[in-house]
Amino acid sequence: MPSNKLLPLAEAVRRYTWDGMQYASGAALPVGSDAIVFGRELLRQQRRDLHGIFHCNTQQLNLLAGAGAATKAECGFSGLEVFGFANGLRRAVESGQLALEDYSNLAMAARLLGGAMNWPFVPATVNIGSDIQDRSAFAPDEYPSKRKIPSVTDPFSGREIGAFSPLKPDLAAIHVSLADPLGNAIMLGTEWSRFELSRAAKKVVLIADAIVDTDCMRQFPNLVRIPDIIVEAVVYWPFAAWPQSSPGLYDVDESHMKFMNKALATEQGTADYVRDFVDSYSDIDSYLDLIGRDTIAKLSDSATSFLLDPFRQWIKTPAEIAALSAENSAEVAA
Amino acid sequence: MSTVANENLPYTRQEMMAIATGRELRDGELAIFGVGLSMLAGYFAQAHHAPNIRAMTEGGVYGATPVGGLPWGIECNRISANATSFTNAIDALGFLVASGRCDVGIIGAAQVDKFGNVNTTGIWEGEIGDSYRLPKTRLTGAGGANDIACGAGRVVIMVTHEPKRFADKVSYISSPGYLEGGNARERYGFVGKGPSAIITTLGILRPDPVSKEFILEAYYAFSSIEEILASTGWDLKVSPTVHVVPEPTPEELAALRRVDATGALRKA
Repeated sequence: MPSNKLLPLAEAVRRYTWDGMQYASGAALPVGSDAIVFGRELLRQQRRDLHGIFHCNTQQLNLLAGAGAATKAECGFSGLEVFGFANGLRRAVESGQLALEDYSNLAMAARLLGGAMNWPFVPATVNIGSDIQDRSAFAPDEYPSKRKIPSVTDPFSGREIGAFSPLKPDLAAIHVSLADPLGNAIMLGTEWSRFELSRAAKKVVLIADAIVDTDCMRQFPNLVRIPDIIVEAVVYWPFAAWPQSSPGLYDVDESHMKFMNKALATEQGTADYVRDFVDSYSDIDSYLDLIGRDTIAKLSDSATSFLLDPFRQWIKTPAEIAALSAENSAEVAA
Repeated sequence: MSTVANENLPYTRQEMMAIATGRELRDGELAIFGVGLSMLAGYFAQAHHAPNIRAMTEGGVYGATPVGGLPWGIECNRISANATSFTNAIDALGFLVASGRCDVGIIGAAQVDKFGNVNTTGIWEGEIGDSYRLPKTRLTGAGGANDIACGAGRVVIMVTHEPKRFADKVSYISSPGYLEGGNARERYGFVGKGPSAIITTLGILRPDPVSKEFILEAYYAFSSIEEILASTGWDLKVSPTVHVVPEPTPEELAALRRVDATGALRKA
């Protein structure tokens, strides 16, 4: 057993992902948080035919769909909130390249809860009576759909409700604010459905903006909603959610959100984006250079920065993290 | 274009819509706001006449008021800088909305029909038909609006008034209003009572108590019954008590503009 679970991003993607897998991302929020950099690495390693489980669309799904790496997706919300429609996902759906199965935001969280509990189904009191129940992109010729959210009878009241299928994705790549080297994690801001997702997925990889000492977790155990015992690997990657935000650490990069979404509207724009912002960096330093050091300073000056204050004393430096990673790979090799 | 103040008004049509929506909220209510303009309308009410409103977003962000202008999302840092509690989606949309505890929700719409059904999923040429064919234009999906439409005690729908948005029948029901009208909602046992108003850039529509068909109840100082009828894609009935909505007061406008610091409602 390694003394820590730190793994380079590229190695985590090599080890835990494959073509055709059911891949879930968290927080899967369009603005707030998501491990966008994990999706960039999926593209760098040319993963194909992904079945995305995204509570909401994010710039990650927008990118994977726009670049043709995802052929199926299930979402509650498929836009970018005030940043508008998700052009990459939209193009993939309108061209038929990706089948998008629609649910609502509560439905996605409830289905993850069902997966975590190993329930056969989850009672549905929402989505019933609407076209979310009647229309299935995965079985388009069955109308009204009988298998997506089938009608069932509440055995107690006799009332007709629906049944949601539980979700158990092959992998959840979960963005967290802080993780320790063992895989205990603290999320600042809404956790959205990361708690349920971490229990529903067959495997969990954390992507953390900062690595802290385990003493930090012992100080705030109530805040550790993802414990190490369910985590396979911890990836350290600052600005992992960029251009989205990470409460306490950095704000949303408004101009890159717009630039990226505009690029994803066309095949050529997407190819250019992949060349310039996916294939172009070789490590964390060159990734941060790509974002721009001035931009990083500006985004870090967030009205939410105080949220990080209680934890700062335990944050490890890049050199300390490198030493821990080296120790880990030596043990793995041995 | 109806979103721009094309007349000599000290406010825009969108600001009138937001203020009329905010007036629907009462002090002390548990209220959930969708992303974008709904959030501005909700936090306007809190800043103006409903200081004790218990506001939340579907992200499970509580006790917050936006800083720096319109939040980019329900989870954005602009709404995370002064929150008193962060939880999760199951809590906000499940424990507090699906449970029946939430008094009122505000949602937006790409398209709405005469029974208050909302489409935010896609635009198709004509009816979809028996096979779920590809949309001409894919929209954003339901998000939390379906959950709010099923569970919130009442729902206020906020939408720009244009013929293409006001359809006799939406091509896809993303979030249920009164479905086919009458007591159709009862088939599903929704804990929420359905939409209480459609507030637009031109006026206010409310459902007939029996048929649940939305009828024109009020217009604004700058709009007219004729303009509204011409901008509605179904044969809109006019209430016998149709009237003019009071214009925004200086206090209302000032409160709205404090919340809308980046002027989202004053842009074209």
